Amino acid sequence: MTLMSRKNLIGLIVPAALILITALAACSKPQEPAPPWKVIDASTLRAMMASDKELAVFNTMSELECRDHRIPGTRCLACEDVENNPSILPPDKGRDIVFYCESAGCYRSCRAAGAAVKAGYRQVYVLQGGMPAWKQSGYTMESIERIPRGSIQSIRAPALKQMLAERKDLLLVDVRSEYLYKEGHIEGAVNIPMHRLSSSYAEIPLDRTLVLVDDRGFRTFLAGSYLEMKGYRVMRLFGGMQDWQAMQAAK
Amino acid sequence: MTIEARQRQKGLRAGLLLLAVFAVLCLPLAVSAAQDCRFCHDEPLYRVDFNKSIHAGNGCTSCHVGITDVEKHRDGKEKPAPVDCGSCHQEIAKEYRNNFHYIQEDFRCSDCHRNIHAIRQDKSKNVKLAIIEKCTECHGNADYTTSGHGEAVLKGNQDAATCSDCHGLHNTRVFHTSLEQYPAEAREFYTQKCKRCHADSAMMKRNNLSDKMVAYYEGTYHGKVQELGYPAPVAGCGDCHTKHNILPKEDPRSSIHPDNLEANCGRCHAGFHSRFLSYQAHPDYTDRAKYPALYVTFLFMGALLIGTLAFFWVHTILWWRKVYWEHDRMEREGLVPPSVLATGEGLQQVERFSVKYRIMHVLLVISFFTLVLTGFPLKYAGAEWAATITRLWGGAHMAGLFHRGAAFLLIVGMAYVSLESLRFLFPRGEGKKGWLSRLLGPDSLFPNLKDLQDFKGMIRWFFNKGEPPKFDRWTYWEKFDFLAVFWGMFAIGGSGILLWKPEWSSYLVPGWVMNIAALVHSEEALLAALFIFTIHFFNTHFIPNKFPMDRLIFTGTYRLEELKEQRPLEYERLVAEGRLETMKREHPSIPLKLISATFGLGSLLLGMFLTVLIVWSLLVS
Repeated sequence: MTLMSRKNLIGLIVPAALILITALAACSKPQEPAPPWKVIDASTLRAMMASDKELAVFNTMSELECRDHRIPGTRCLACEDVENNPSILPPDKGRDIVFYCESAGCYRSCRAAGAAVKAGYRQVYVLQGGMPAWKQSGYTMESIERIPRGSIQSIRAPALKQMLAERKDLLLVDVRSEYLYKEGHIEGAVNIPMHRLSSSYAEIPLDRTLVLVDDRGFRTFLAGSYLEMKGYRVMRLFGGMQDWQAMQAAK
Repeated sequence: MTIEARQRQKGLRAGLLLLAVFAVLCLPLAVSAAQDCRFCHDEPLYRVDFNKSIHAGNGCTSCHVGITDVEKHRDGKEKPAPVDCGSCHQEIAKEYRNNFHYIQEDFRCSDCHRNIHAIRQDKSKNVKLAIIEKCTECHGNADYTTSGHGEAVLKGNQDAATCSDCHGLHNTRVFHTSLEQYPAEAREFYTQKCKRCHADSAMMKRNNLSDKMVAYYEGTYHGKVQELGYPAPVAGCGDCHTKHNILPKEDPRSSIHPDNLEANCGRCHAGFHSRFLSYQAHPDYTDRAKYPALYVTFLFMGALLIGTLAFFWVHTILWWRKVYWEHDRMEREGLVPPSVLATGEGLQQVERFSVKYRIMHVLLVISFFTLVLTGFPLKYAGAEWAATITRLWGGAHMAGLFHRGAAFLLIVGMAYVSLESLRFLFPRGEGKKGWLSRLLGPDSLFPNLKDLQDFKGMIRWFFNKGEPPKFDRWTYWEKFDFLAVFWGMFAIGGSGILLWKPEWSSYLVPGWVMNIAALVHSEEALLAALFIFTIHFFNTHFIPNKFPMDRLIFTGTYRLEELKEQRPLEYERLVAEGRLETMKREHPSIPLKLISATFGLGSLLLGMFLTVLIVWSLLVS
């Protein structure tokens, strides 16, 4: 487009824009306050880790997930554990500490970072985009104890609903946090939060087919593979509670 | 020594020699790589199956690197590094970096390629089927496997889409569509996937399907907004045909089966009458049997477009020829038009357009350009310039808002003009008396017998067969310009209002009328734009005695001499009725002239530029 016509276009837009400006001003969203921690991208984290071999970088997923795959040289510390007991963090509150998790939204790392800031840590960082961003940058991962991937059937919410009505041998296992479970869960579901799964799985009876339920359907695959390895028959809810609630709301 | 034994010895010696050469060259590699590993790892998988596999030529250590000392490894003190398939399969590894399974579940190659040590190249393998089998190990998608594409693949169709044809194989994208994350990206991505096969003529012919559906879809509002690069607010293929349960409309399970249409359209549209459902999502205008009303409209609009433009273009060319030749003759003979040489009273400015009408014209220009600049990018959504202009507006949504705003301005203006026209015909106090003579009188913009005579006179003048006709207040082409806006408002405005909120319109007209409305809106817009940018611009800018512009419509006044020259009958009437005195005005001020020139020439340049873009798109398509 030539400069001339662009000028003309702008000249024409301006009067019309004035009419709409008030409407637009009403639509614009207010700015969210900046979080009390610093956000860094994957390449920055990599550079920080290279220059400081002792840098404390924490994977805030459950131990089971973290041991399966994590950024090399980082430590496993579930965000629930940080929240419950921030004293498990390194004692020097002036040192850099970094949190990351498995989703681009970084919900868990932010919760851990929030707890650290509250506990008095002054140099708290969160990896922007989490592990997905790290992986997409092409950086490698490490496995301490890899869970063999199983063939975990995923079932969609409507199919699960039908299945629950027809079959009596199913056991719904909700792996979300206790808080979310208390807020609302599928009728009959038992709660074993992800971060306690590796220590408490033995409580689950072996004679039932498990249907794993999580928040959005991202975490039940690995949990399912883990439980399959331990001898359980496992299925998982595709899309997690979010899909289930969407189905319920649609009715 | 028997011959046999001697030969054996010779053979032994040769064998030893060969062995020595082999040992020197290959042993450190091959023996440690294969023999040593299999000494411990002696399962049949590694001893037998691996040797028949596609990777048999590679030793164990070409994948399992990092063992420096076999003894340390045997004692569990040295473990091989994780296998990096990407060291050979670089392209796939690059693609895989964005794979959803890797990003979210940390899948590694061998999680899908489980029999990696025994993997063979099997040309007879039904790859599409194998992919379905692999994906459904976890994704038991009954929607897909029992219908449409899946069913066809299972029956052996090699054209039908298997999982990876839409979702990618090693580059399965991070679209968690069930969570409605990235809805715009997912819609764009999957619609492109559908188009790739469904626009493939050979493939569609083989499967007895139409290859035109993609083009027809691209001709609709849904398709055009999508093509313009704004897939978020409009239906892509999967929005109506669903993602996995893709079936022909005759099948009761199909989302596009008549019984399911209300729910189907209702996923995006709300509050419509069931008549809405007769809208055609990808109609063929040229199919007379299937879409008779659309076909007739298509022909009518085409004929109107070509007929009107052809008529006025010929008129314009003849006119230009005459004026240019005449201009040339006068130039050669040193003659100048009397209006240029005007002195005394001839220099007096007289009013032709009052401030009110000048403002209305400016508003009309602004509204028209806004409509063209927001509407035509959609009409020619595939063109490069269309995306650029839409970006300047701030996206398709903003462009749509401006389009509606400008349309509102135009409709209000038009309503006002209609009111004015009625007031002209039925002035206060006079009622109906004499309305017909006012309608056909010299101050009216309604065509009359004199216009026909003037037209004939102009044609004669074009061909040097006589003097130009003497005009009164309005020429026949000005009347056409004025009345064309009325027709245009009926066609574009009417269809535009129907399309504004199609759900509500469905309470007035059935859905298929929306198809017609869309066609009329688009074609009439093309006619209007080309008419204004070529014919109207010729009348007011390019005719040699007005070049580069006639500022009359902006300043409102011209010389008395010009009035005499261009509209002699009006002049005579004004003198006879004694009204000329009341028409006299001051000479327009410098700022007004400057603003007029800027606005008028700016409009001209923009219009010409848009004409080039439109013609370019017409030629390309």
